[in-house]
Amino acid sequence: MDISRKSKPTASQIIFITLFLLYMIIPIIATYVFSIATRWDRSILPEGYTLQGYRDAMKNPYFLITLKNSLVLSFGSVLVSLLLIVPTVYWVHLKVRLAKPLLDILMILPFGIPGVVLALALVQVYNFAPLNRSPVLLTSAMVVFTMPFMYRSVSNNLEAIDIPTLTEAAQSLGANTIDILVKVIIPNILPGILSGSLLVFATVFAEFTLARLIVGAGFKTFPMLLVEYTRKDGTIAAGLSVISFTIAWIVSLLILWVGGKGMKTSQDVIKAH
Amino acid sequence: MAYLSLTNISKNFENVVAVKDFNLNIEKGQLVSFLGPSGCGKTTTLRMIAGFEIPDTGTIFLDGVDISNIPPNKRDIGMVFQAYALFPNMNVRENIMFGLKMQRRPKDEMIRRAENVLSLIRLENTAKRYPHQLSGGQRQRIALARALAIEPRVLLLDEPLSALDAEVRVVLRGEIRRIQSDLGITTVYVTHDQEEALSISDVVVVMNNGLIEQVGSPQEIYRKPNTRFVATFIGTANEFHGFVSDSSHVQCDEINIYSTRVGKLATGVKVVLLVRPENVEIYDQPPGRDTQNVFEGKIDTITFHGAITRLGINASGKIITADVSISSRAPVTHNQHVWLSFDPEYCQVMAE
Ligand SMILES: Nc1ncnc2c1ncn2[C@@H]1O[C@H](COP(=O)(O)OP(=O)(O)OP(=O)(O)O)[C@@H](O)[C@H]1O
Ligand SMILES: [Mg+2]
Repeated sequence: MDISRKSKPTASQIIFITLFLLYMIIPIIATYVFSIATRWDRSILPEGYTLQGYRDAMKNPYFLITLKNSLVLSFGSVLVSLLLIVPTVYWVHLKVRLAKPLLDILMILPFGIPGVVLALALVQVYNFAPLNRSPVLLTSAMVVFTMPFMYRSVSNNLEAIDIPTLTEAAQSLGANTIDILVKVIIPNILPGILSGSLLVFATVFAEFTLARLIVGAGFKTFPMLLVEYTRKDGTIAAGLSVISFTIAWIVSLLILWVGGKGMKTSQDVIKAH
Repeated sequence: MAYLSLTNISKNFENVVAVKDFNLNIEKGQLVSFLGPSGCGKTTTLRMIAGFEIPDTGTIFLDGVDISNIPPNKRDIGMVFQAYALFPNMNVRENIMFGLKMQRRPKDEMIRRAENVLSLIRLENTAKRYPHQLSGGQRQRIALARALAIEPRVLLLDEPLSALDAEVRVVLRGEIRRIQSDLGITTVYVTHDQEEALSISDVVVVMNNGLIEQVGSPQEIYRKPNTRFVATFIGTANEFHGFVSDSSHVQCDEINIYSTRVGKLATGVKVVLLVRPENVEIYDQPPGRDTQNVFEGKIDTITFHGAITRLGINASGKIITADVSISSRAPVTHNQHVWLSFDPEYCQVMAE
């Protein structure tokens, strides 16, 4: 199929796409505008604009603490997820192909279990020090919760290259397992690793239920602060949402930029297939 | 002791016998090919030499040392794969230097070696390109260069040319042979193409069903096949079924064929007698008295093959295939009455 060939979109296509974009974008724009509005309940457009909401939000001593906690939690989850999933999926692709369907099914489970159930179960099972209500337990839960994202991205990418033969070629040239993973396999599945990392990061950064139920007030995250403000001050809550979006976007750009070079060669590889 | 030696090797997969009681000695600097039909165990044997499969029984010696328990990345054995297996994320030079990097060689030595092997395969100007920017033939040359860069003790090639066009195949196999003998590198070459095996090998190992059928020089394999399988798998042959009538004759239905190759086969043993098409002599008049094994027939089919013409001759109901070179004789015509003879030297006899 020739994707590059352009044909004129029909009127119904244009309407459909426009509606979809509006549906996606309006809430975001509204949040941005609301976060700088003085008052916006008696008129179509806000009555005035101010950055007071942001100033108030940042004055809260918990602002920086929760931001730091959430960043640590999100990056930590991405890291653990990578260390756990990449070698496992590689191994399954290389040696135990029969286990792949099993893993595929296993990886749907986190979608089937509501976060509340997962959280309460974990709290009961790991009801002993030092794990109980610890950020470590929360990170583990987040890793399980977001595992399908990382698994699917990495697995699809591994599918596209001939893992066993590349591995054997590297072995015959004297490479050990670590060399093979770091120098041959990972560079070739970088797009999958990056998109998996992005999905995990964004999900964990915005996750509320698990964090609230597992660690509670002991380790306050950014979404917890946000939820607190929704009950007190809508403008500040909107401001925090905007900050949350912005961080997610910055991190996405950062991850894409870091992986940019590898991404490019990998895309060439895929093009060549 | 031979440089590379496989003794009593066998390998089963679940209930499939892949290789059985395999014994082979390879001398230093030889190019040995494994030839046989699909599924006969060529790749499995090669992979056991490389260390990717562990034999169920037997031992592999390299330079007098048992390497059976050494992992593949410590064996110092280079391998070239059918699917090239170049690393897509590295350019040609990085691919070639990969093995040297694993050995932690100094940078300037790595660059020098990469240049050397690139000039060996005559692709000096591709160093900066990525695998997907090369043709299949070029990729396979790079894969060869990459395997050679580490100066392996043994080079293994598993059907390296089977993904390429016929023309490229012929050129590249000549090149592989040239480089192999220039470097004097001990090489095992797997193929199911008999012409390829015969044209480049010092020794051909013909395999069937996990067993070695015959080991010998290309000439031996072609001229003196030990088994019916070898005789029919390599080249074509006219087959006559019958029994040994005395120490130099085989009775096949009505006709009695004289052969100097009956050997120790006892009288009465059921045998098959094989004559290759190029060993069938054709005459348009009855040949002289001292010519052996003369039969009469009519030319049934004529197929032009370039250097030779292949005739199908109907000799009292049996079709006999004969190759004649046009330059050496008068033209033949359809339905022409001819005489033919088999040289007793080339009448292979083997027990059924
Ligand atoms: N990993 C494996 N698991 C199960 N059976 C295998 C495996 N590898 C090889 N076999 C079987 O062992 C036998 C020999 O296979 P092998 O690959 O060595 O044949 P080959 O001579 O290389 O054939 P081809 O010319 O088709 O490559 C075949 O019957 C094959 O099906
Ligand atoms: Mg094979």
